[in-house]
Amino acid sequence: MTRPPVLGVDGAVKHYDGGGVVRALDGVSFELHAGELLGIMGPSGSGKSTLLLIAGLLEPPTAGEVRIGGQRVSWPGADLDGLREVRRRRIGFVFQKPNLIPFLNATENVALALEIDDVPPGPARRHAGGLLRALGLAHRASSLPARLSGGEQQRVAVARALANDPPLILADEPTAALDSVRGRQVIALFRRIADERGAGIAVVTHDPRALDLFDRTIELSDGKLVGASTGIGGLVLQRGLSEGDVERR
Amino acid sequence: MDARQPRRSGRGDWIVNLALRDIRFNAVRFLLTMAGVGLLVTAAIGMVGLYRGIIADALLIVRDIGADLWVVQGGRAGPFAEGSAVSATLDRRVEGVEGVAAVRRFVQFNQQFEAGGRSLRATVTGIDHPADDGGWLRLAQGRGLSAGHFEAVADESVGLAIDDVVRLGADDHRVVGLTRGMVDQMGDGLLFVTINDAQAIARRRTAEEVLLARAAGNRSGAATTSSVPQDSKIAAVLVALDSAADPAAVVAAIRRWGDVAVLSRDDQVDLLLNKRLWRLRVQILAFTSVLLAVMTIVVSLIVHTMTLEKLHQIALLKLIGARNGVVVSMIGQQAMLIGSGGFLAGVGIAHLVFPLFPRRVEMTVADLAALFATVLAIAGIAALFGISRAMRVHAREVLS
Repeated sequence: MTRPPVLGVDGAVKHYDGGGVVRALDGVSFELHAGELLGIMGPSGSGKSTLLLIAGLLEPPTAGEVRIGGQRVSWPGADLDGLREVRRRRIGFVFQKPNLIPFLNATENVALALEIDDVPPGPARRHAGGLLRALGLAHRASSLPARLSGGEQQRVAVARALANDPPLILADEPTAALDSVRGRQVIALFRRIADERGAGIAVVTHDPRALDLFDRTIELSDGKLVGASTGIGGLVLQRGLSEGDVERR
Repeated sequence: MDARQPRRSGRGDWIVNLALRDIRFNAVRFLLTMAGVGLLVTAAIGMVGLYRGIIADALLIVRDIGADLWVVQGGRAGPFAEGSAVSATLDRRVEGVEGVAAVRRFVQFNQQFEAGGRSLRATVTGIDHPADDGGWLRLAQGRGLSAGHFEAVADESVGLAIDDVVRLGADDHRVVGLTRGMVDQMGDGLLFVTINDAQAIARRRTAEEVLLARAAGNRSGAATTSSVPQDSKIAAVLVALDSAADPAAVVAAIRRWGDVAVLSRDDQVDLLLNKRLWRLRVQILAFTSVLLAVMTIVVSLIVHTMTLEKLHQIALLKLIGARNGVVVSMIGQQAMLIGSGGFLAGVGIAHLVFPLFPRRVEMTVADLAALFATVLAIAGIAALFGISRAMRVHAREVLS
């Protein structure tokens, strides 16, 4: 039997009222499978972040629905507050800013995601320590966020997203604040997580520097899905980008 | 990378104490906040303590002197709520009433005098020596009165020392004992002398006054309605009843004379608290209420500001699926810690500062417990404001 996709977005529409209806998303559908690294591309204002908010159960769609693990979880008028447990156990989030709690050290920041899920502190911190070690941050485990570099903070945020072993990870511009080397390291980390843990990972980005690491990309423009491509042998063919462009980058 | 999530316990009380971690992270700021709240608590303790102190001072004589009944000037409620002057021989009449076990004469008046080049002030209180052995005085040093004349026992607050000699009226009095915490309702220290000496001090007149009084055909010059005890007058006669006596029958018997009024100890307490000191009590309680309202506003603002500063973190907690209880607990615990820490700081400051105040500030365990409960209630109200704001935070705000 075929396993359902970890994330399914069907006909997602999002309208905002603000002196006239703004169509942030206009009938976007896509699926994300276990072990798949998906890039969501598009210029600013194309609806990428709105799509992530809807997929992450942080905004209900105006029309359409969201399925996680084959289960319909969000639809117009859905009670998002009641979906906290789904977010807690089935989705990991990574953002442009690491959003670490400043008064908790790296281990505690990661363990927090487990402790709010009723995991006792001892096992939670051991697990957090293991994740930080796996991400090359063992030596920074007891450092407060203010003492970590931007790249280290982002890796701690990734470790926190992984803490609950969620089948779905959503990342919004996670490399925007990093230089090209560290940005690629973060996408490579997602690649590794997808391969080793089998998580489905959707990364919103307009940074083409690591496109070769994605399995697939979709492109949004003015709230509509305008393109999709599949990675072939580390080379991404995408509308609007020539192969030469990709090689140069 | 292949580590899997550890098992959940099914219990919800594991979470790291975010409130304490935040406090530890911002320790100096929290200590300053607690100190600020502590000063407000100190002020509240001071207001309540001042109120209690005034009550204690006002009732000190009534409670300590051990009289069941006070026989005072007719038509008056003396000697504390109103002036009272009765014949110095009234005690003999009262002594003959059935049910009366013992009587003492009582007189009290304010006096300014010079001692050691200083201008001092005291409330002279006559002790009916030897009928009254002064055993009820709160002696801190020295002894009570043992001679019939020219000895004095002063409260420490008057500013005299043992063996000081002070001129009161026309005579010198040697201080033989010092009491502690014995002042009148205005805070003037009590100075005890024998009642005969007290009458002599009160009788002191200038030569011109004596001449004028003689010219008026009134040898004593006393005015029966004066609030100041006059020649051959005392303020009241204190009555101790037989254990088997019917107080109502004794009161009725004395009242039938018509020229005196009889007040029980409870009557005196009621007169002091609900007549003489009523406005002062209401004033102090009103100020205390204002102070508590200010404290509520200040603590609420502090907690609300702290919540506003953490909105991003609260949004993050909601994003990663934290239950509302986690956020409520963080804000509530911080508010309670500020409240209880501020209370402890306030009590500490109060114990350091108030003994230096000129008037008694009485801190009772019951009042402190009530104030602690009030401070916790205020912290609870403040937490509700903060929690109300936190509950309006959406998880998506973490992206802002």
